[in-house]
Formats: sequence, structure tokens, C-alpha cells
Amino acid sequence: MTIKHESQKIAQHFYTFAVLLFLVQVLVGIIAAVQFIWPDFFILNFNTIRTLHINALVVWLLVGFMGATYYVVSEESETELWSLPLAKFQFWATVVTITTVVLGYIIMGLYPQANILVFGTRLLNEGREYIEAPRWADVLIVISVLLFLLNCAMTVLKTKKWTGIQGVLLGGLVFLALMYLPGMMYAKSMVKDQFWWWWVVHLWVEGAWEIIAGALLAFMLMKTIGAKREVVEKWMYVEVGLVLFTGILGTGHHYYWIGTPEYWLWVGGIFSSLEPIPLLLMVWNAFRTTRETRNVENKVGLYYTVANAIFNFVGAGLWGIIHTLPQVNKWTHGTQITTAHGHLAFYGAYVLLVMAMIYVTLPAIRGVKEFNPSRAFQSFWWMTISMVFIVLTITGAGMVQTYMERLMGLDYVAVKANYNLWFWIFRAIFGVGFLIGVGIFVVDYFKLGKEPATARA
Amino acid sequence: MSNKAVKNLFIYGSLFFFVIFLALTFDTMGKLDKRAPEITEDVNAGKMAWHKYDCIGCHTIFGNGSYFAPDMTKTAEKKPKEYLKKFLMDPKAVNPQASMPKLGISSEEADKLIAFLEWTSKVDTNGWPPKPILATAAGVGGKELTAGQKTYQSLGCSACHMINGIGGTTAPELTYVGGKRDRAWLTGHFKNPSAYVPNSAMPAYGNLKEKELNDLTDYMLTLKQEGKK
Repeated sequence: MTIKHESQKIAQHFYTFAVLLFLVQVLVGIIAAVQFIWPDFFILNFNTIRTLHINALVVWLLVGFMGATYYVVSEESETELWSLPLAKFQFWATVVTITTVVLGYIIMGLYPQANILVFGTRLLNEGREYIEAPRWADVLIVISVLLFLLNCAMTVLKTKKWTGIQGVLLGGLVFLALMYLPGMMYAKSMVKDQFWWWWVVHLWVEGAWEIIAGALLAFMLMKTIGAKREVVEKWMYVEVGLVLFTGILGTGHHYYWIGTPEYWLWVGGIFSSLEPIPLLLMVWNAFRTTRETRNVENKVGLYYTVANAIFNFVGAGLWGIIHTLPQVNKWTHGTQITTAHGHLAFYGAYVLLVMAMIYVTLPAIRGVKEFNPSRAFQSFWWMTISMVFIVLTITGAGMVQTYMERLMGLDYVAVKANYNLWFWIFRAIFGVGFLIGVGIFVVDYFKLGKEPATARA
Repeated sequence: MSNKAVKNLFIYGSLFFFVIFLALTFDTMGKLDKRAPEITEDVNAGKMAWHKYDCIGCHTIFGNGSYFAPDMTKTAEKKPKEYLKKFLMDPKAVNPQASMPKLGISSEEADKLIAFLEWTSKVDTNGWPPKPILATAAGVGGKELTAGQKTYQSLGCSACHMINGIGGTTAPELTYVGGKRDRAWLTGHFKNPSAYVPNSAMPAYGNLKEKELNDLTDYMLTLKQEGKK
């Protein structure tokens, strides 16, 4: 495995930053888990820790997508990137912006009054979940994404090889960039605020990001087992088509209880119930295509690719559909059931996706034919088993909460502090298990291709 | 179907659904203002304070946000304003068990936040959050409630106080209060709580009728541990 074009190596810059942010995300995640048991643990309050946890997640996945996209676009266009210096500049600009934003969160956590109003927007933290980054950072992030898209588009135009994979991949990224914009305006009404906020959050993770996942799945199946392009591209179109046919109107499942009209109960209930179908199709595609070939070129890459398809379906699909009907959601909305779904969906759909792309492309970037896969498998099982148990404990907590608080009328704090205590303790323990898995992965990431393939045999 | 046909189906099908989504969005935007009270300057200033302190980092509102602390949608409906104000400015002074830190919320900001929370509590949320069915059933079924129990319910005391596991945790539990306090203390405390408990965030109920005060006190005095009568 070697790269065809020197500029594909830029992907590694992005991967490294992504991997380090992943480690940060999981470390602060454990602090957050302990704060559920002991709220005064740690110098920063829960809100700051949680902001860091979810922002690190979103950013490392986006940065991972960017690195993967530079690799794919160059490969598919069969040429060097349009501008390598621009890609490097865009990378470092992103790193500087993100680091500044993180420092801002920490300062705000220590001195809440420092979050002053500048030109009508907050200086350090916008106070809106997932899009906490202040407006000035939003602008810089948009510029960075535009430079990235420009570089990719110009690369494609060099040879004009519009393959289906890169068309869908870039289409998904343009959709992603556009859907960032509705989060950048202030609404006096909290209802309107949340209405537009869901355009960003839902149309990202259940729209644009799933399109990117569909395109990368097709790419990875070609790379790991030499699947035929015509076949994987047809599957891809069907998958991403169904993602949008169900996912766009599926946004309605967030418009049940926020002050929006009642017809969203019907629209959201029906379309979001169909959302798991394309995810199931991705699993079928991965298995069917894998069965058809005996020539596995990258075992670890294939392993992660198939696992990604399966856990995308389980986490995003199954753990979503259980509480998506309005009759159920009326009782579970805003409980730990949502947290459980969020954890398994992000792990299955996107953490494994970026890790799969790393294992599919990194050996070629590092120029190795073979690498010792033992650490990759170890980290997979540490992470996956831990995450499954994290999700089961939170699901249990959510069921207890739904029953005791919502149906019986017990106080929120009583349920959280007393009846769910052991769920929080187990969740923190499995969190440490997940951290061990991530630690093994980080070591593997830095050592892959830099030691003899048989070193650990 | 050829790859080209599938591709076209993907593109035009997606556009079709996006257009429907846009039309529904347009319709929704026209209906939202009628489903909520007017947004005054105070309500908006409260929303700005909500963002400033990153309240969503722990709480949910309309069920969305973080799941570390209670949902705030209907808080203003359930808790007395006096309590909310004192709590927002210094949570642990009101309730030593509270997880919420002192964020430096000013008196003015607390008033605005309460105005904002009063606004959210009046938004038409299609019946969310639903009334807990078992607690509701326990209140209406079975034996007739005493006059004191009825007053306790109508004043919404259980929003903050807990009796036998049902009720809030933000104020002292009352399950055994009858064994700890006498009639004079209870009646006096209802009329002027802070004269009996320094820093109390409970509003004064001096405006209640004499009969209601007596009923409520009678009820409190029945709350004793079994065998300790």
C-alpha cells in the first residue's frame, strides 16, 4: 500500500489533531461522569466540562472528515491537490482557532463574568449546546471550511474526473457548510432559537454527516476488498438518497414539544421512524460486498468499516427509533434515554467511521505493506465493549428516570442522586475502560508503520 | 436501474423533500408567535442572561440541552419567584445540598431570568411535559383528602417540599415535620419564614385565611414517624 500522490500525506496532519482531540474528549468525559456522582469534583463546573466534551467530539470528527476528504479527492481525481500550501495553512488556521476557543471556554468556566457582550454577541461562549463557539470563531470556522472546499473543488476541476464517490462526498460537505449558517443568527424567541438550532444539529448528524458516511463507506469497500466501483456507487446513491428522503422531514421529531405546531407530531413520527432503513441498507451492503470477495487487502480497515456500518445502525437507528414516536417521546424527551442514544450513535456512526478511514488510508500514507493489527483489534474491543456498557447503564438510568420522575412524579434531583447512583458509578468505570481503548489506539496511531510488522508476534 | 438513474433519483428526490421541509418551516414561522406570549424587553434580557451563563450546559429547556440538572421549561410555574431569585443568586445558601454553583448572577439578571422562565412556562408545547400519571392518580383516587392536604396541594407546596417520597428536593423534607415542630412554630413560620429560618427562600403566607393556616398546620402536625406519637 502506497499513496499515489504526495499531497495525500496532508491527511495525516488532520488525523493527528483529530486523534489528540479524541483523547481530550474522553478524558473530560470521565470528569463529567464523576461529576454526576460528585458535582463539586474538579476545578471546572459540569457545564464547561460538558461543553469541552461535546465540542471536542464535533471538531475532531470534522477535522477527521477533512483529512479523509483531502486523501479521497486526490485519489479519485488522480492528481495532486490543487494547493498543498493552502491545505497546510487551512490546517494550522483551524488548529489555532480551535485552541483559542477552548481556552475561552476554560476562562469562562473559571470567571463566568468574563463572557461579556461584544458587538451584540458573546465573547467566549454563545451558551447554545453544540454550537457554543462564539460568533467570531464561527466566522473563522466558515472561512476555513470554504478554503477547504475551494481546494477540493479546484483539485477535481484539474482533471474533471467527477466520480460518484467524490461528488457525493463533496455534496455532503457543501450541505454541511450551508447547514452551519442557521446557527449563526440570534432569535429573541427561545422557540425560534431551538427551531433553527435543530437545522444545524439534526441536518448535520442525520443528514450531511450520513451522506459523508455513505460516500466514505463506498470508498473504503473499494480500498479494503477491491469492490467494483459501479456496484458500491449504486448502493451509495440508494443509501444517501434514503438518508435524505427520511432524514430531512425526520427533523420533525425535534419539533414535538418546543412550541411548534402539532402537525410536526405526524411528520416527525412517520419520517423519523423510517430513518433506520438506509442505515440497515449500509450494513447489508457491507456484508454482501464483503462476501463477494476473497481478496482482503487491509484486514483492520475492513474490520472497522463493517463495525462502523453495524454500530451506525444500532446506535443511530435502533437506539433512536425506540423513543422517536411522539407517544413514547412525550415521556422520554429530555431524559437520559436521549443521552444513551447520543453516545452509541456518535460512537457507531462517526467515531468508528473516522477510525476506519484512518486504518484504511494511514498504512498507504506511511508507506507500509503490512502492519501488526493486534493493537487495532485490542483497542476496538476495549472501546466497543466499554461503550456498549456505558450505553446500557445510561439506558437503565433513563428508564428509571422516565418511570420515577415522569410517570410517578418524583423529583428530578431525588431520582438522579438516589435511584440512579449506581448507574453513574458503573458508567464512570466503563468510561475508564473506554479510555484504555483510546489509549491503545493513540499508541497504535503513532507507531503504525514505524516498527517491524512482526514486532509483537 | 442504471447508476445515472439512481443518482438523479437521489438528487431530485432530496430536493423534493427539502422543498416540503421549507414550506412547513414557512408555515411554522407564521404560527409560532400565536403559540407564545409576547416577548418583552425583560424576557429577551433574560434569554441573553441564559446564554451568558451557559445554563444549557447543565439544564434542559423544552427538553433540549444537557441532562445534568432539571428541565427549566415550567419552573416559573411551579416555584415561587422569591425562592427562584434567592436560589439563582446563591444556590447553596438556599439549599446546601444544591449542585449549582454561585455564578455571580446579579439581582437584576435574576429578575430578567425569571421573566424569561415565566415566558417559557406559558409557551404552548403540545402538552409537554405531561403530568405524572401515578402522582395525579394518587391525589384524586382513594380516600377523601383532608382540608389541610387540599390546601397543601392548591398552594403547590410539593413543588419544593417532599412528603413520603413525593415532591421536590429544593426545600426541607416534611415527612416527619410534625414530630419536630409545634403548632406555634408552624403557624408563625407560615406567616414569616425568615423570622424562624435565617436566609429562608420560602415566600411568606401571611395572607392566607385563618382557617387555611390552621388546616395546613393540622396537616403538618399529623406528619410523624410511626410509633413516635
